[in-house]
Amino acid sequence: MKKPIDIKLTQEQLDILKELGNIGSGHAITALSKLLNIKIDVSLTSIDIVPFWKVPELFNKSAIDMVGIYSKIPFKSDLAIIQLFTKVSIVSLINILSDNDKIMVDDIKTIDDLDDFSVSIISEIGNILSGHYTNALADMLSIKLVPNVPKIALDSLNAILETLIAKFSQLSDYMILINTKLIVLDVNIEGIICLIPSINILKNLFNILNLKYDLNL
Amino acid sequence: MKKIKPHGCIEKPNTDGKIILPIGHYAIVNCRNKPNNIYTKISIYGLGSCIALILFDSKNKVSGMSHILLPKCQLNKKIEYPHKYADLSANLLLQELLNRGAIKKNIKAVIVGGSKIFELDENGIGINNIKAIKNELKKLEIKIIGENTGGSEGRVVIFDTKDFSVYVRLTRESNLQKIKYS
Repeated sequence: MKKPIDIKLTQEQLDILKELGNIGSGHAITALSKLLNIKIDVSLTSIDIVPFWKVPELFNKSAIDMVGIYSKIPFKSDLAIIQLFTKVSIVSLINILSDNDKIMVDDIKTIDDLDDFSVSIISEIGNILSGHYTNALADMLSIKLVPNVPKIALDSLNAILETLIAKFSQLSDYMILINTKLIVLDVNIEGIICLIPSINILKNLFNILNLKYDLNL
Repeated sequence: MKKIKPHGCIEKPNTDGKIILPIGHYAIVNCRNKPNNIYTKISIYGLGSCIALILFDSKNKVSGMSHILLPKCQLNKKIEYPHKYADLSANLLLQELLNRGAIKKNIKAVIVGGSKIFELDENGIGINNIKAIKNELKKLEIKIIGENTGGSEGRVVIFDTKDFSVYVRLTRESNLQKIKYS
């Protein structure tokens, strides 16, 4: 019987992953800031290695309705970016970017309550953020990475996360999340960009970066 | 039977009698020796593609719930959280109930969850979970008397151990609905 896969990373490896997250999210958020023409505050990127059932606790907003924008990045193994915005944030983003009548937050219960134009605005925001994020990663690693078209869901945070947890915790009971928070105070925008590498992909990453690893895979 | 104590059992409710069940965990409640007349309510907020499996014996007043993430476990691995997997969870939850004085022929099941949150092609997880748990319960000869599964929305599930009723609220709705038993 194999032991369950533990993820133990050295400080150097953690720093490299954090730096990947910093550079990726930096590029992504700069692009969003240019699009909206506003100043966006960014937190330092954090890296968390947690058991699968603790993932919702990281976000600390379990009962709030959030919009999840999920972009899968086809590479050797599973790699994905999930962007999480509070419902209020997404509605203010749509209202900033669209010339149509203003949308009220309370009218939006599910994704079907949004018109096609608003949904495509969300997709486009998702595309811009994940595109710039992966571009920066690709440049840094000298590989080719192109994210797929994003998928959108509006639901409670836990429900959105479950799909991801199910996908990324099949091999191990632990998951790696590289999180960057963004916030715009004056227009009430609050979001998280989260890069989730699968354990297999860490091997690839460390190979590319010429780092030694002992991941017990 | 050898007593196994896997990770992920929540034994004690908090002061107001609530248990919030994280993924891969389970809880067992025995109502015969209830302290201070507080009946435990076990709940999951934001159930997406996961399954809430509820088993109870209303005559002996023993009940349990587990929060299942995946349909099948990989056999070559040591498993720390068996209730993560549908195939192991059903069997283990049944054993736990029997250990606490439930009788097999009284045990009934209710299943909730298994929705499809993102429109992904490969995302059959919810549907596979429903299939897997139904298959497992059939093997164990436990009757499913109520279910609220599928769809594309998250759910809130609350299981009241006082009268063994299950309440569900879909994300778009504002009120809890009681599941009707057959």
